[in-house]
Amino acid sequence: MSVSDLKERHAVATETVNNLRDRLRQRRLQLLDTDVARYSAAQGRTPVSFGATDLVCCRTLQGHTGKVYSLDWTSERNRIVSASQDGRLIVWNALTSQKTHAIKLPCAWVMTCAFSPNGQSVACGGLDSVCSIFSLSSTADKDGTVPVSRMLSGHKGYVSCCQYVPNEDAHLITSSGDQTCILWDVTTGLKTSVFGGEFQSGHTADVLSVSISGSNPNSFISGSCDSTARLWDSRAASRAVRTFHGHEGDVNTVKFFPDGNRFGTGSDDGTCRLYDIRTGHQLQVYQPHGDGENVPVTSIAFSVSGRLLFAGYASNNTCYVWDTLLGEVVLDLGLQQDSHKNRISCLGLSADGSALCTGSWDSNLKIWAFGGHRRVI
Amino acid sequence: MSAPSGGGGGGGGAGHGGAGGEVGSSPFAPSSLPPPRPKSPPEYPDLYGKRREAARVQMLEREIGFLEGEIKFVEGVQPASRCCKEVSDFVVANSDPMIPAQRKSRRSCRFWKWLCGPCFSMVSFCCCCQSKCSCHLKKPKCCSCTSCSCIGSKCCDGSCSSSICCCPRPSCPGCPSCSCFRGCCCSCPDLSCCIPKCFRSCSCARPSCLSKKKSSCCNCNCKIRWSSCFRCPKVRLCSCCFCNCKNLCSNPCCLAF
Repeated sequence: MSVSDLKERHAVATETVNNLRDRLRQRRLQLLDTDVARYSAAQGRTPVSFGATDLVCCRTLQGHTGKVYSLDWTSERNRIVSASQDGRLIVWNALTSQKTHAIKLPCAWVMTCAFSPNGQSVACGGLDSVCSIFSLSSTADKDGTVPVSRMLSGHKGYVSCCQYVPNEDAHLITSSGDQTCILWDVTTGLKTSVFGGEFQSGHTADVLSVSISGSNPNSFISGSCDSTARLWDSRAASRAVRTFHGHEGDVNTVKFFPDGNRFGTGSDDGTCRLYDIRTGHQLQVYQPHGDGENVPVTSIAFSVSGRLLFAGYASNNTCYVWDTLLGEVVLDLGLQQDSHKNRISCLGLSADGSALCTGSWDSNLKIWAFGGHRRVI
Repeated sequence: MSAPSGGGGGGGGAGHGGAGGEVGSSPFAPSSLPPPRPKSPPEYPDLYGKRREAARVQMLEREIGFLEGEIKFVEGVQPASRCCKEVSDFVVANSDPMIPAQRKSRRSCRFWKWLCGPCFSMVSFCCCCQSKCSCHLKKPKCCSCTSCSCIGSKCCDGSCSSSICCCPRPSCPGCPSCSCFRGCCCSCPDLSCCIPKCFRSCSCARPSCLSKKKSSCCNCNCKIRWSSCFRCPKVRLCSCCFCNCKNLCSNPCCLAF
């Protein structure tokens, strides 16, 4: 077949793809008979209401000398690892605010960090395109340099996000500016699977975030600069299980909903959205009121019941707490006493759901917990 | 003695550099052989380009298969209301350490609460839009958006009385001020409304596309990359990430960091 024949086939195929996408979009619109907010309002759900002292900052973790970009909690024992522009990972005891480790990184331009499920290792990645693993039992020298126990090399772009597979210290998933996600075997340092990439059905722009399902660790979601989120089955890397459209800008952050059948996203278009993984439906859009420019969402987390969605934004110190059922902002942590002084870049909930940690460009981390009274019925 | 073969004549021809010229005067050149003519190099097929194009077509045809499968799948999918019910039931069934206790309804609002049922009647609209209705009743974004025909539109906030949909504004209202963060008309609600003339009023401290005459807000190729430099995250729309690998103290990426 000649090149001109191929070009003609390419044009025809492109038109077919566009028509099919349009048909799919129309069909999905017909199935959107309601959203979570309208449904919940019709059910007469009582809104969540926070008093002035209900959610308070109970700890400020100071020690980084640069913007904090990423944080992660352990699955137990209330420790946090944070990564900063100062080129260090710090491991904190969240209860006492003490630093247990301060690891100087070989590449200062770190973007993500994660705790292993057993809490004995931390992983990080960034502009060096490598995911580095450090063992917390290794001895640091006086500069805080800890030897890298494993380097996961293979990405052709920056590592934007990393997360260990739940309950598996030997497996980790990374997302990258090279448009792929990779499942790694940490013990060998080798790639197990590559999701997406050139000439494969995957993201068509930088991948910025991953979230692995807690209830089904074979499933994970990725969010990308191509404005989509994709659901993957780690056992079948050839193509995404489903692609979720709707956002009008980069999808910066994705997080599974606590029930494992839904997930949330945060985007440069200023909205957070809730999607259903089994049907592909977009169930809710969380869009702040106001006529101003859409402020990008940098990070999200759900409370353990899923009733609250915490969302950090790329302006000032805004961190909205959304009532996920009624689709309304119930609190802005940026207006609370002792709030951050700059953009919130990352946040995460503790394993038991009783505390939220936020990381900011002001170089601090803060821990927020419920400080009000709770009536036992 | 026989005349030398063409090889000897060829040797003489080679001395002339294969210019395909002059033979006839040589006493050794056989008159029946055509003059040597240099050939153009054979046309090699552009295999790399052809294979790449074939791969793209294959990808598209695979995508067609996926989309057809997805359309078939969607035919049998339950409506969103069932998923919303599942979400609501899950949330209500699980306790949450971050959520304060419920407060009692105020007596005065019970009447409003009774009257304000699902928001699809004029009565409930009146109720829902009353500012007095402060207990657990908040004005919904809109009473009904079912008549919206604009794709991606929503009902205007504060306009419950109107069922006219707010379609995305067709054109950018103008760019009175440009934010240098993206070197473009960031005050425009829709970035596709950016027009190049807005861009020139921006002054970015870092190297940018300003020096490029043909730059436009949405098409800029002034990313500077060296092989040993980092590819910067979220570099887009005329923002140039200036990689300076010689000075490791400087931030290689001007945007996200």
